[in-house]
Amino acid sequence: MALPLPPGLTQPEVAFLAEMELVTIVPRQRLESIALLSGSTPPLRPPHRADLPLWLALLLKKQRRANIVPPPWLHPTSLSEIITRETKDNPDAFSDPPPPISRAHPSQPGRARRLAESEAGLSPPFVPSCTAEAPAGYLPYHWLEVAEALLAHAGDDMPVAAGEVRSLLRDLVEVRAAKMRSSTGTLEMFGGGLTSLRGVGAMELAESRGFVLGVVDGVRKLGASAEATRREEEEAGGGQGASDDDESDEDMGL
Amino acid sequence: MDIDDILREVDPTLHEVPQEKRDLQDLTRAWVAERSAPELLNWPSGELFERINDNIKRQIERVEEMTGDMDPKTNFALIVIQTELERFKYLVRSYLRARLAKIDRHALHYLSTDELRARLSDMELAYATRHQALLHNHYLSSFLSSFPPALQNLNDTAGNIAMVDLPDLESAVFIRLLADSMVSGRGVDTDNTFEFQESDIVILRWSDAKPLIESGRAELV
Amino acid sequence: MSYYDIDSILTDAEKIPCTFQLDVPELGYLDNNPGQTLKAGARVALPLWLAELLAITSAGGSDDQTKSYVAFDLPPALRNDVVQALKAEPLAVPLRDQSAHFYSLATHMMDLSEEPELSTTLRKTFVKRAAEIALHARKLGGGAGKGDEGSNLGVGGAGEEFLRGLDEWERRLFRKAHDGTKAGKEWMEKIKKY
Repeated sequence: MALPLPPGLTQPEVAFLAEMELVTIVPRQRLESIALLSGSTPPLRPPHRADLPLWLALLLKKQRRANIVPPPWLHPTSLSEIITRETKDNPDAFSDPPPPISRAHPSQPGRARRLAESEAGLSPPFVPSCTAEAPAGYLPYHWLEVAEALLAHAGDDMPVAAGEVRSLLRDLVEVRAAKMRSSTGTLEMFGGGLTSLRGVGAMELAESRGFVLGVVDGVRKLGASAEATRREEEEAGGGQGASDDDESDEDMGL
Repeated sequence: MDIDDILREVDPTLHEVPQEKRDLQDLTRAWVAERSAPELLNWPSGELFERINDNIKRQIERVEEMTGDMDPKTNFALIVIQTELERFKYLVRSYLRARLAKIDRHALHYLSTDELRARLSDMELAYATRHQALLHNHYLSSFLSSFPPALQNLNDTAGNIAMVDLPDLESAVFIRLLADSMVSGRGVDTDNTFEFQESDIVILRWSDAKPLIESGRAELV
Repeated sequence: MSYYDIDSILTDAEKIPCTFQLDVPELGYLDNNPGQTLKAGARVALPLWLAELLAITSAGGSDDQTKSYVAFDLPPALRNDVVQALKAEPLAVPLRDQSAHFYSLATHMMDLSEEPELSTTLRKTFVKRAAEIALHARKLGGGAGKGDEGSNLGVGGAGEEFLRGLDEWERRLFRKAHDGTKAGKEWMEKIKKY
């Protein structure tokens, strides 16, 4: 009855989450707006594009009622550029996540502002990063899940042969997996309290979560006694704590 | 603390995020958080759950009506509605089961103080109390009553180890920053404080992450 | 250490060398002298849970000379030459041969007495070995790609040796890494069917 899973989302759960990401579709048939629990769907009037959650887009695609527009970052040129960045420019950290999509403010022409979503404290998958407006050259949080779903079920909507995209994706997966593994080498070597994984993807987290957290917790337990001593000494000795900002960068694992 | 109210004051023409979308985001966030945190989190405030449950019930009724109507035009809409309904039900169920798992594992702990008990919903509280009582009776009739009376306690703290299991609040977790923030993390050799940017993902101890999560400056991932 | 945790219970059963600091009547059988008094100075290996108790409990007495029954040393698994070997070649030491609960034991001992050098060495050891474990787990989980960094992962041979020497904490790490990789692969396969 109660959930036997360990803490942290599993891959299927992450995939479920990713299906809430908005993608752009080109409808092939009209469809009236449907009142769903999460709000009404936009009415579909071919050939006007619309943004829908991935799960619904896949449903429409399966029924041949729409085609899915692959997001710009999934294009081979974009993927190659990202691979280069991951291997040459940034060999120790993941490449940056996409900047939030901005839109021109309707009542104040000439002034683009960030979508209300990101200001209202929303986050992936509720901040669009896989629509046709998403910037190329950046991997959004759910990149792997969305990419694989589109390749599997909308391969014919790809700008080039799905095989080419797939092979680039494999390379990306490998490069980033290696980074994930080596992140535990730098982290916590000398017991700093924070490690940044800026730019990491959801599936990558799901795969290494158990291991990485296991290492961090293990180091903490092995150092528990040393840490307790340090705190007692700091408290007694009038707490002259370490100068934090300088050291933090090397302990970062960035 | 409703950001929509503040923003509405500042700019009335602001494109607002509709309630249903906010609810889905809150439910999703609550689900991910509960699946990831080592301890039981607070029951969601603001009637979120009651609202969602009501909406689900109403939607189920609507599906039943629509199923009676054999018009092919409404058929696809029905499929879409049912698919989304299943997704919602999955979220709600998984959320509740994750909570139950934590309650089961550390029942005595969550029942032990008022502050902890407040985290459970009424139904969960009833479940935990009853479940614990059943378990205790089972132990008593199986073996506990044949122990010497002084050793029959399930919650004594003699000999340096507490019998009541606590969740490990220092376990490491992953968080995502929702706004640029200063984050402090304790470590073995040093404690760090660093200014992180929105959408950064950080590994730190749950006890350090908790204030950020509770104030809405970060979420668990 | 939680009350019901099996690991913790098994760790506490490990024996550590103790020196009795007082004469204790009738315990002679511990030193192969049944019926005799156990003399102060006798060295006996006692399970950790007992050694801890006896080391903390003072033998009573109203003067300022209250000694505890026992003084203990680090268990043989944590002796100096093991620690030095770990400093030099952490991957080459089969920890399991020293103790199946190596890290758990070390943690418990460090709770009882200050061992800063041991703490640092073990943390470094743990992290280095963990990286190696991750590599093996990925290989065995079927996640190996074409670019896997060269390491001493022989087919069988050195790899198996290393894995055989993992203690309980490391085995659990391996399982977590392996499960993660396996789940990833399974998800990729399943995505084809909808």
